[in-house]
Amino acid sequence: MTAPIDRGNVQGLLARGYRKLRHARFTVFTIPCPAAGHAVLSWLLPQVTTAAAGTADGALHVAFSAAGLRRLGLPDGVIAGFPAEFAEGMTGQDRSRFLGDVESSSPLLWDWGAPQGPPADGLVLLYAATPHILADRQAELDARLAAAGIRKVTVLDTRELGDTEPFGFHDGISQPAIQGLTGAGPGARALPAGEFVLGYPNAYGQFTDRPLLPAAADPGRLLPSDPAGSGSADLGRDGCYLVLRQLEQDVGAFWEYVAEATRRPDGSCDPLARTALAAKMVGRWPSGAPLVKAPRADDARLRDANDFGYYHTDPDGLACPLGAHIRRMNPRDSLDPAPGTEQSVAVSDRHRLMRRGRAYGPAATVPPADGEHAIRQPPGDSSAAHGGTGLHFICLVASLARQFEFVQHTWLNNPNFNGLYDDTDPLAGSRQPRGATFTVPGRPVRRRYRGLPQFVRTRGGAYFFLPSLSALRYLEQLSAGAVSVPATAATTR
Amino acid sequence: MPYQIGVTIRAPVAAGRVSELRAWLAGAARQGLAKGQFGFGHVRGLHFARFYLLEETADLDGRMIPASLVFMSAVDAPGRRHLADLVDVAGEGMAQAFGHCAGYPRPGAGRRARIAWLRRHRVAASAFYVNTVGRGLDQIRQEAALRAALEAHLDGRDWTGRTATEVRSALRAYVAGQPALAWAYRPPPPPPLFFRAREAVHKVAVPAVLVLLLPALLLILPFWAVALRLAERGDPPVTERPALPHLEELARYEDFVTQNPFAVVGFVKPSRLRRLTFRAVLFAIGYAVRHVYNHASLAGITTIHFARWVPLDGWRRMTFASDYDGAVEAYNDDFINIVWWGLNAAFGNGVGYPPTRWLLWGGAQLEQQFKSTLRCHQVAVPAWYTAYPSLSAQNIENNARIRAGLRGDMRPADAQRWLSLL
Repeated sequence: MTAPIDRGNVQGLLARGYRKLRHARFTVFTIPCPAAGHAVLSWLLPQVTTAAAGTADGALHVAFSAAGLRRLGLPDGVIAGFPAEFAEGMTGQDRSRFLGDVESSSPLLWDWGAPQGPPADGLVLLYAATPHILADRQAELDARLAAAGIRKVTVLDTRELGDTEPFGFHDGISQPAIQGLTGAGPGARALPAGEFVLGYPNAYGQFTDRPLLPAAADPGRLLPSDPAGSGSADLGRDGCYLVLRQLEQDVGAFWEYVAEATRRPDGSCDPLARTALAAKMVGRWPSGAPLVKAPRADDARLRDANDFGYYHTDPDGLACPLGAHIRRMNPRDSLDPAPGTEQSVAVSDRHRLMRRGRAYGPAATVPPADGEHAIRQPPGDSSAAHGGTGLHFICLVASLARQFEFVQHTWLNNPNFNGLYDDTDPLAGSRQPRGATFTVPGRPVRRRYRGLPQFVRTRGGAYFFLPSLSALRYLEQLSAGAVSVPATAATTR
Repeated sequence: MPYQIGVTIRAPVAAGRVSELRAWLAGAARQGLAKGQFGFGHVRGLHFARFYLLEETADLDGRMIPASLVFMSAVDAPGRRHLADLVDVAGEGMAQAFGHCAGYPRPGAGRRARIAWLRRHRVAASAFYVNTVGRGLDQIRQEAALRAALEAHLDGRDWTGRTATEVRSALRAYVAGQPALAWAYRPPPPPPLFFRAREAVHKVAVPAVLVLLLPALLLILPFWAVALRLAERGDPPVTERPALPHLEELARYEDFVTQNPFAVVGFVKPSRLRRLTFRAVLFAIGYAVRHVYNHASLAGITTIHFARWVPLDGWRRMTFASDYDGAVEAYNDDFINIVWWGLNAAFGNGVGYPPTRWLLWGGAQLEQQFKSTLRCHQVAVPAWYTAYPSLSAQNIENNARIRAGLRGDMRPADAQRWLSLL
């Protein structure tokens, strides 16, 4: 019997995407010493929005990287209780190769989070209903950080939340639901809480690895005890991992490419074919209508359709190409060992992400499906120095390796995905060292697009731990020196 | 077409030369094995090859097992030719590698002496899995080239409005016009007769003997099952987690191309019951991979090119090594989701494996314990060679189907199905 989720202990971002809080800003900072961390954490703690709280005009969340937890006084032995991906961080050379952060996406070129730059120790996510509220709360945060002697690494502004992502497609349609925490949208699969929230059984009915402390390190009983019954204090329970990546989208290059690739023999633009090719890459039309349900033309009535599979309706990818973005990010029932069955869906379900990203940068003019407009990058503040336009990708997971990294490597950037030969994700994939082909299955024969440019590049990123409220309280005490963890403490189960 | 064999050569490292060998392996990794002193790209029929180091360790009774260097190749038969090629083509590299081991013939010693040394240090595998038995390196390369040619031909023309049958005819005509592709119209020749005969006899003889032994086996079975279950109850859960430096060392050599090398090593549980069980299970696996899982799938896993189970040190230890597509996390997930029972039956007899129930259940079904134990027992493979770094096993199978579909007449629906392979 599993205990119900303690909503008051879970940061609200796990439960909600804050569609009504349309303004957001993310601040990454470096913690110079435990005292500074303590000062800011004490101030932040009462403001952290839980899953139980209302979110009338704003929300605030706080997360720490492994480096940040060290700065708050957590000894290495406990950090080692976190999974290696988290402890090691996102920017090691081997991990970069694994994640496709190479060449123009290399961390050495990042605007923030680069190995040679100031460490991304902490992260505050501010959400607000109006720009004024956001500005006020940000000003307050800035003042507090400054007073504590904390240096900001970057402040990531976001675009007012709309319905479309920067390439011009309706986005955020397929989200998993968390049993006992979130409602399920249309067609959403409700997954066991432990897939996203640490300290609860996952899809295997087991507890995902998380940091545990000897009970003696928590004399005030701030932390819940390990639900697996080890008697340890559970630093992970009700928390999760937060992946933040700044993904710059070259909107102009994307629309230019599809326009060029679909020109009529006389050289004129074919707007319908252009949009259709773009939709083939995404797997949905700009409205959001999935190609498996609307194979020929966009159909806005299907904009939120999420209740579909691939194998029985479209096994060869004639409607939605096998390598299309959404067929990779969530292959549903299309993969081995038994495509078209519940087993296949269950296997895909073990690699789901709770996406919480927000777009940034000025909106580029996306060409209408029936017009010949040239695609223009908007004037003004779209300079490369500001990262242009893109997505501050955020996802929440219980396992970085089995969820985020798996999707990134085995599905998104895998040139051999699902029987393909040289195709990475046409929209978001890396083209290095291979993968610049996009195959559109067809009758009588497929059409191959070769030499596909890379449309998305990584400009920053870090792995964070989004602690529970009780873990935040514990970290606050720890950074004040009020509790101590023996340097050798390292229990994991 | 030749059949495939796994050659495993192992030799103890000469006293005091382990760290030197470690550094040398890291250097070899940087240069790659395809060219230069190894020239594995020129070794006939060589699909995959690797070197890895088994560090010095104490066995369960405290006896020292010296560090050893392991070489493995997955190669087209005959083995005799392969050993000669290792000396004649890759001789310089082999001499440098095994030059760190005791007794490797000095420079100046004849090639016969070296070949004999390699043969003496061969270790037999209990089971050797080949993705598709009989599909040789030349065939894989030829069929990849055939596909590339057909794809390029398709790219160069507008096929709209043509029927599948018409397109297929056009492709057949194209191939017919290419003398370099003349082979594509013929089916790949089968493995040699003696091999087929041997396999056929083995396929029948083993069940026949088992039928004879059945009464005795049925008698033993309940006692064996109870004894095993009792032994399992004493197995502790896995609490050890892989150390960060170990994981970093493994990551250094992973995820460069489509495939990865995988190698684990561990001790066999010391009881006689466990060793016998292990031998019996590996015998069954050996039979299954020869006669059942010999075409494109290992019990549902389609991403493994080659795999082998090799007992070491008089069955005190076991190493499992494979060449597989994708990343280790996905590979482990396949184990957990698809062949957990097979993993349990074999490695459930290994020390440090998550506890099993009735041999088949538990174990790999305990996801994180299983992943931890695999990573803890995994050995870095610094020097590794693949003959086709961008082809997945699925690609290779698809290429073979493309070739097969060139032959004979097809109904329109079948022609369309064939075209969708391209």
